[in-house]
Amino acid sequence: MAKAFNAGRRGVTGFLEPAERDLLRKLFADIITMLEPSRPAHEDPLAALIGLDMDVTVPTDPALLRLLPDAVKDDAEASLEFRQLTERSLRETKIGALRAATLDLEKDKLVLDAEAARLWSRALNDVRLVLAQRLEIKDEDDAERVHQVQDWGEAEDVESYLSLVYNFVSWLQESLVQAMLAGLKGSK
Amino acid sequence: MSVSTAPETDRDQSTHELTSPDIPWELIVWNDPVNLMSYVSYVFQSYFGYSEAKAAELMMQVHTEGKSAVAHGAKEKMEAHAVAMHGFGLWATVQKGGGRG
Repeated sequence: MAKAFNAGRRGVTGFLEPAERDLLRKLFADIITMLEPSRPAHEDPLAALIGLDMDVTVPTDPALLRLLPDAVKDDAEASLEFRQLTERSLRETKIGALRAATLDLEKDKLVLDAEAARLWSRALNDVRLVLAQRLEIKDEDDAERVHQVQDWGEAEDVESYLSLVYNFVSWLQESLVQAMLAGLKGSK
Repeated sequence: MSVSTAPETDRDQSTHELTSPDIPWELIVWNDPVNLMSYVSYVFQSYFGYSEAKAAELMMQVHTEGKSAVAHGAKEKMEAHAVAMHGFGLWATVQKGGGRG
């Protein structure tokens, strides 16, 4: 069983069992695959350099749309323009966090400095956003329904299994964020 | 400067924006049933440099009212904040201030 994260002098420390590390590695890899652009960067080298993507479209997968949301409400045109300027680099930022967290999984004991902890919190959050879409968590009642599934003995179908995974990742992120908040407090 | 100050932290700018008399644009953060309250509070503290109390107040406003205008200022600045929020996994939008809210 994983241990809750702790804030200490060397940063945030935590411990994960091999099976838990395997699970997280797989989840991170799945989301990296979702986020990797299907098309190469814009052929104009300057456009590619600044991350411009004039061919971008709104994601059709609701989970991917949750990771890369519209930035202007009720204005598709302005949102698309915003995507052209920012989506590629946002994808890269997210992939970067997921890859960094994956590398940290090489050891069963996690020792995260402030930057590594931040990357971990983002990676875990993106995992939860995607799982929540798959579990159709749309409001607090849905969240509560999923939260009720706590017994791994009950994992008999995809939904109950995903619910258990979601609850584990939620617990892990909450524990990490509490340690990070304690770190913020200690540094003031 | 404390260790919590990351490269992306934006203390000086946000303070200036909040006291600026001319506030044309705002950044709205929307509620969702997934993001942890602690995480949202952490993002508001670490990214905007808000105090624990202010971050908690904004976080509760998002939670209970469905959204909160968490920053005000120039359009380009709000757009940069929106990308940063999306990087954290929070859903944020930019809009002209004072109107639709």
